[in-house]
Amino acid sequence: MSKKKGNAADLAPSKEEKKGLGQYILGFFLLLYTLFCGLPILLVFISAFTDEKSITQNGFSFFPEKWSMAGVNSVLRYGSQLLTSYGITIFVTVFGTFLGLLVMSMFAYSISRKDFRLSKFLSIYLLIPMLFNGGQLSGYVIFTSYYHLKDSLWLLILPLCVTTMNVIILRTYIANSIPNELMEAAKIDGAGEYRTFFQITLPLLKPSLAAVGFMMATAYWNDWQNALLYITSDNKKPLQLLLVNIQKSIEFLLNNSNVPASARAAMGGNIPQYSSTMATVLVVIGPIMIVYPFFQKYFVKGLTVGSVKG
Amino acid sequence: MKSFLENTWKHRAHVVMALPAFLILFFIMYVPMAGLVMAFKSFDFSKGIWGSPWCGLDNFKFLMASKNTFISMTRNTILYYIIFTGLGTFLNVVLAIAIDQFVFKKVAKVMQTIMIIPVFISYAAVQFIVYAFISTDTGILNNTFDMGIRFYSTASWWPLILTIVKIWNSVGYGSVLYMSVLAGIDTELYEAAQIDGANKWKQIWHITLPSLIPMITVMLLLSVGNIMRSDTGLFYQVTRNSGVLYSTTQVIDSYVLNAIFKNSNFGFVSATSFFQSIVGLLLMLFANGMVRKVSPDDALF
Repeated sequence: MSKKKGNAADLAPSKEEKKGLGQYILGFFLLLYTLFCGLPILLVFISAFTDEKSITQNGFSFFPEKWSMAGVNSVLRYGSQLLTSYGITIFVTVFGTFLGLLVMSMFAYSISRKDFRLSKFLSIYLLIPMLFNGGQLSGYVIFTSYYHLKDSLWLLILPLCVTTMNVIILRTYIANSIPNELMEAAKIDGAGEYRTFFQITLPLLKPSLAAVGFMMATAYWNDWQNALLYITSDNKKPLQLLLVNIQKSIEFLLNNSNVPASARAAMGGNIPQYSSTMATVLVVIGPIMIVYPFFQKYFVKGLTVGSVKG
Repeated sequence: MKSFLENTWKHRAHVVMALPAFLILFFIMYVPMAGLVMAFKSFDFSKGIWGSPWCGLDNFKFLMASKNTFISMTRNTILYYIIFTGLGTFLNVVLAIAIDQFVFKKVAKVMQTIMIIPVFISYAAVQFIVYAFISTDTGILNNTFDMGIRFYSTASWWPLILTIVKIWNSVGYGSVLYMSVLAGIDTELYEAAQIDGANKWKQIWHITLPSLIPMITVMLLLSVGNIMRSDTGLFYQVTRNSGVLYSTTQVIDSYVLNAIFKNSNFGFVSATSFFQSIVGLLLMLFANGMVRKVSPDDALF
C-alpha cells in the first residue's frame, strides 16, 4: 500500500502544477475541520491551567483571564488514588493487550493452516459471537453470580481480550502476507510447530500485531463500562472509573441542593472543581495523545490490510 | 471419521494453540448466550438463571404493556443508527476525497493526525469536554453567544448535539479506510481523463467516486447488523444519563445498563435483550447475504 502511495505522489505532476486557488480553498475547509477536531482537546489543556475563579465567573474560555497551576496541583495532591488507578489501567492495558495478541495470533495461525480439517469448525465458532450475543444483562448475571468475578480485574481483561474482528485481521495478514513456504522450510529444517510459530510467523506478523495491539490498547485504556459494572473497591479502580466518579459526585451535589452544610464541609476536599476536573481529564487522555502518533502508520496500514481482503 | 481424527491428531499442536482463545470465547461470549433464556423466566438473583421458575411469555407481555418505553428506545436506537451511518459515511467519503486531492501532503498528514485523535478519547472524558461547551453557566456557547439555553434539560437539542459529538469522534478515523482505497487508484486513469479534457470535478465524479462504491456498499451492509446496538458511552456518558433527556437520548443499550445499576425490571430488560439479540442476528444474516451478492469476497461467511 505504502509503495503505491509513494508512486501516486511521484506520478502526479498534474496535481503539483495546480497549486491554484482551488487548493487554497480546499485547504481552508480542511483547516476548519481540523480545528473542529483539535480545539476541544486544546480546551482541555487550557482549562486545566485556568484559574478556578475565571471559570466560575466567565465560563470556560480559550483565552482565560488568569492562568493557574492550582487545578493540576490538586490532581497531584489526591495522588495515591490517582497513582493506584494509573497502575491498574496500565497493568490491564499492557497485560490484556499482550495476552490478547498472543492467544488471537495463535488462533489465527491455527485456522489458517490449509490441511487442518478442524479449522472450518473453528472459523464458524469464531464468527458466531459476531452474529449473536447474549447482551449486557445476561453477561452481567453470568459473570457476577456464576463465575463470582465481581470486583475482579479479570472482568476488565477478558471481555476485551478476544474479538472476532481482530482475529480476522490477523488471519488475513497471515494468509496474504506471510509466505507459506517459509513455514514449510522451517519444518523441513526440523523446527517443531511451536517453534515455527514463535520464531518464524510471529516476527513476520509484527505490522499487523502493532495495528491490532494499538487498537486493543486504546479499547482497554478507554474502557469505563466494565469498570463501572464490576469494580467496587478503590484499589482496583482504573482511570476511567475515576472520571465517571467525579461526574457522579458533581451530579450528587447538583441534585441535592439541600445537602447540609456540614456534609458539604465534610466532602470539602472532594468537591470537584472545574479546573481540577479538566486536569484529571488531561491526565487520563494524555498518554494516548503522546503514544498515538508513533503508532499511526501501523494502524493505518493494519486497518487497510484487515478490511480490504486481499 | 477416522481420517478426521488422524488429521486432528496430526495437527494437535494447532489444536493446543487454538485452545486459549477458544476457551475465552466460550466463557465470555458463548455462556452468556445461554443466559438469554432469562427472557422466559421470572428471574430471581438468589436462584440464579437456571434455578428461576419459567414464566412462559410473561416478560414479553410486560414488554407489550409498557410499550411506550420500548417503542421510544427502539425508535431512538434505529434513528440514531440511520443518522450516524448515513451522515457518517457521507462525511467519511468527502473527507477522504478532500485529503486525497490536497496537494500539500505534509500539511495534510498533520491535519489527518489531529482529525483522528478524538476517536481515542473515551466518552467518560468526552462528556467533560462537551460540558465545557454547552453548560448553562460556564459553557462557551452560552457565554459567547449569550443564548442562555439549558441544554442539559432540553431534550430536543440532543439529537443535534449527539450527532455533532459522534461526527467529531469518528469521521477522521472512518475516512482512513476510504483513503486507502483512493491511494490504490491507478493514476493513469486520471492522466487519461485529463488528456480527454475532464476537469477536477468530472474526474472525481467519474473516477474517484465509482472506485469507492464497492467499499461504501460493503461497509454499509456490514453495519446493518449493528442497528440494534449503539455506542453506549455516547448515550450514557455524554448525556450525563439525565432522565429529563431520555425521550431523545435513551437507546436500548443505555436502558439495559441503567436497569442493571438500578437492579430493577429484569423481566422487561431480559425480554428487550432477547429481542435485541434476535433482531441483530436476523439483520446480520440479511446483511451478509446482501454482501455475498454484491461482492462475495467481502462476505463474512
